[in-house]
Amino acid sequence: MTAVAHPAVVRTRRLPVLRRWLGDGWRGLIGWAVGIAAVVFVYLPLYPSMRSPELIGLIDSLPPELVRTLGYENLTSGSGYVQATFFGLIGFVLIAIAAIAWGAAFTGGAEESGRLELTLAHGVGRVPYTLESALALLLKLAVLGIVAWLLIWAVDPAAELDLDPGNLTAAIAAWVGLGLIAGTAAFAAGAVTGRRSWGIAVGAGVAVVGYVLQAVANNSDELDGLRVFSPFHWAYGQTPLSDGADWPGLGLLWGGSALLVAIATAALARRDIVG
Amino acid sequence: MTLAIHTRALHKRYGSHTALHGLDLSVQTGSVFGLIGPNGAGKTTTLRLLLDIIRPTSGEITVLGRSPRTDGAALRRRIGFVPGELRLEGRVRGRALLRHLAEISGPVAPGTIEQLAERLGLDLSRPVRTLSKGNKQKLGLVQAFMHRPDLLVLDEPTSGLDPLVQREFLAMVREARDAGQTVLLSSHVLSEIQQAADEVAVLADGRVVADGPVSALRIASVRRLRATVTDVAAETVREALGRVPGVEDIDVAAAGDLVRVAATARGDIDPVIRAVTLGTVRDLTVEEPDLEESVLDLYARNGASS
Repeated sequence: MTAVAHPAVVRTRRLPVLRRWLGDGWRGLIGWAVGIAAVVFVYLPLYPSMRSPELIGLIDSLPPELVRTLGYENLTSGSGYVQATFFGLIGFVLIAIAAIAWGAAFTGGAEESGRLELTLAHGVGRVPYTLESALALLLKLAVLGIVAWLLIWAVDPAAELDLDPGNLTAAIAAWVGLGLIAGTAAFAAGAVTGRRSWGIAVGAGVAVVGYVLQAVANNSDELDGLRVFSPFHWAYGQTPLSDGADWPGLGLLWGGSALLVAIATAALARRDIVG
Repeated sequence: MTLAIHTRALHKRYGSHTALHGLDLSVQTGSVFGLIGPNGAGKTTTLRLLLDIIRPTSGEITVLGRSPRTDGAALRRRIGFVPGELRLEGRVRGRALLRHLAEISGPVAPGTIEQLAERLGLDLSRPVRTLSKGNKQKLGLVQAFMHRPDLLVLDEPTSGLDPLVQREFLAMVREARDAGQTVLLSSHVLSEIQQAADEVAVLADGRVVADGPVSALRIASVRRLRATVTDVAAETVREALGRVPGVEDIDVAAAGDLVRVAATARGDIDPVIRAVTLGTVRDLTVEEPDLEESVLDLYARNGASS
């Protein structure tokens, strides 16, 4: 500190909780954005070399269950490739981990660290606290979505992906929605239990079980019905990157997330703050 | 006079454990009220109930004429609170954290945060997680006092503070009272309450076992005394101490020229000191033990008389 700022009245401001989550968390957000950039720049430019007959032959020789589980059936189109490598795999893992970590930290983590008690002892209600925190989660994930959209669009010409910008937007909305539902599950579990570890466990459960259910369903006609329970299927079942927005799927993801935030709000408003 | 805090038949149960058994508490507006009692007596539970951090199992609470449960945020803007176990984590710097809290509970007058920090000797530019326990506690005090709330609820506010800062804190409490603010503070150190408070309630086991003006409560009776004396026989000191009523745990041992004396005094301290000064005093400490003993003593006496 070289200069002492002239002191001024500190007045109440709108959305103080949201401001603090964003203000405290910008380093982490940049870190996640850099991670996404690394994945996009490493994987997507490989697409032209993936179209070789040798690679198509290689994939044909793999067990079909493995190919379906990885989502590699459609690797030879640009949208299929981006879906399989980014949205369906590493991008999914990245946004799920980021969302779960944030969601669990905003409720259970804040309560365990004593931050919630100190904040709620001031002039903010439980409901505004929860809603502002949920909004912070949404905004941070939306930033990752915008970053991913811009990066993918930036490599599109050089990587010869030939993506449609509208379909890319639809896929990003599904991807962010998928992160959001895992993150709000962590958020709600943290709000109900007051424990960060429970938040992480439930959020990770939603992400992993969602993935496994659709993978199992892809490999078994009898278990095909399981996919309706999979957020992963809600996001990608109708291949938005190739075929455009899947409104019912998006509705389930975003509506489900809103429901989880409502559960978190009701839970936190009703119980004692422990920790 | 109006009441800043009033509770009636306040119960709080955690599962099968009952923390408060029908607590009745009245704090006059503009007074400094001390809540004392041993650890686990229900002090922290009581204070957290006032802030609506936890909710009562049954009973009524009125704070500044309002209900903590229904008037939540607007009411808490008029309260400054130091939690009993203040934990501060993260990279956020003291200044930024205080600013954040001021944006919730403001307005905070220009320079108030800086003045309070300087007064307590707190560095606002350090990340809060690197602060020592005492410095975290100072930050806790700043955030409670900064918006000049009508009511200060302070849970063990001096824990971790060194004696000089404790004195500064007591001055802040007096100034708050002079400015018309009401202060409710809890402590397990009796002398602190005696110095700061006008009225006091003694809690034990979730109940008020005694209350009234601080001057009327005679519970400052247990002291531990240790002394090293010379030029006197150990036997003389032992006999002199033995004649003083209320002196227990007498341990007098000669070690060469020195006589080491240890005793617990309940009641008047003067005859105890006189017994020790039969010799030449080389070293003397008189300690106030943890309040637990005094309060349990009081509790036992109250229980016996009623």
